[in-house]
Amino acid sequence: MRQGAQVTMSRTASHPRADAARVEGVEERQLIERVRARELPAFEKLYRLYQPRLTRFLSNLVQRPQVLEEVVDDTMMVVWETAGNFRGASKLSTWIFSIAYRKALKARSRWPDPLEEDPNDTRASTDPGPDDQVQQGRLHDALVAAMESLSADHRTVVDLTYFHSMGYREIAEIMDCPVDTVKTRMFHARRRLREALGGTSADWL
Amino acid sequence: MVDTRDPHEQAEELLPWYATGQLDDADRSIVEAHLSACARCQRQLAGERRMVEQFKSFSPEVDSGWARMRQRIEAPQPKRRSSIGRTASEIWQLLTRPAVAALATAQVALLAIAAAIAPSMTSAPAYVALGDKAQPSPEANMIILFRPETTEADMRLALKSSGASLVGGPTDADAYLLHVSPEQRPSALARLHDDDDVLMAEPIDGAAR
Repeated sequence: MRQGAQVTMSRTASHPRADAARVEGVEERQLIERVRARELPAFEKLYRLYQPRLTRFLSNLVQRPQVLEEVVDDTMMVVWETAGNFRGASKLSTWIFSIAYRKALKARSRWPDPLEEDPNDTRASTDPGPDDQVQQGRLHDALVAAMESLSADHRTVVDLTYFHSMGYREIAEIMDCPVDTVKTRMFHARRRLREALGGTSADWL
Repeated sequence: MVDTRDPHEQAEELLPWYATGQLDDADRSIVEAHLSACARCQRQLAGERRMVEQFKSFSPEVDSGWARMRQRIEAPQPKRRSSIGRTASEIWQLLTRPAVAALATAQVALLAIAAAIAPSMTSAPAYVALGDKAQPSPEANMIILFRPETTEADMRLALKSSGASLVGGPTDADAYLLHVSPEQRPSALARLHDDDDVLMAEPIDGAAR
């Protein structure tokens, strides 16, 4: 019953969402023009837009908080210093996230994660109760635990998809890999998340 | 490239991006053509939407980050934002800009600057009269320049681990004057030279004063 309503909602909402993305694209393009002209207030605006998104994105790749902060700021510093190199061939977000991804890989080679787990050797660490009694908080906790059980690459694809609303082509560009790799990673990650959340809700299958 | 897999596999793979509205028309047609006939995919789609809701429900803090970034941008010279220095050579240009362009080597430049800065810094607190017999603050015998992006916490750590204490600064060039006991000075300098946050740390001798 709720499913039907949701399908309808998404169909009517898909066009406004595309419009919103276009408006966002235009605004961001104007913003990067001003950053190119060394306007600090414009860069502050851009920073405020991207700092939380990058922090969130990079937390999938970099575990140490100090290193995470550093990678976020290093990324934005590169944006500030090389805004002139952005030619608009891809979306601004793709460009910035690509820089962040490369910075994160470098940081990971310098400071490997202390507990990077083997994605094939993980169990859900939650003990969910009956479906109907699951609280939002518990689902959230279960999801966080399930995400931790994924490899960094899988986590990254999942988060870019669900949280950052990025398409698989954009993700492939950011992670510099074939689109099929993104699709496959996502497919396996979803299965693992469903397994990990197994008893939490029948909707996860 | 034509995907020869069965429609269920294709649609199932695309569901997350269908849920977030990120598919192009061709992909969306594949999903929609299959979805109406597949109860399993409909249930999965509901699951995908809940997943999106979950992922959207928390977001990190931004203000502290911006304060940090701004400080980093403005650290070298607030009025010269374009001269954000990343390399030692750029810092050197900044340091030597006023009067020592002709100096042959960076080391010579450093000593000249250090000598020029130290007296002006140590004489800066006007409330200490020169003839005052009260306990004077320890005399600067080192000068240090941190990388512009160094945090206050890292500076503190560097100073503590070297046993040096802060006597003055920041100077116009954002250098600081330090004091350390003469016996400890060589080891303090060695420690500071090893510190990635330190662009330069050199002895100065204000003993002439």
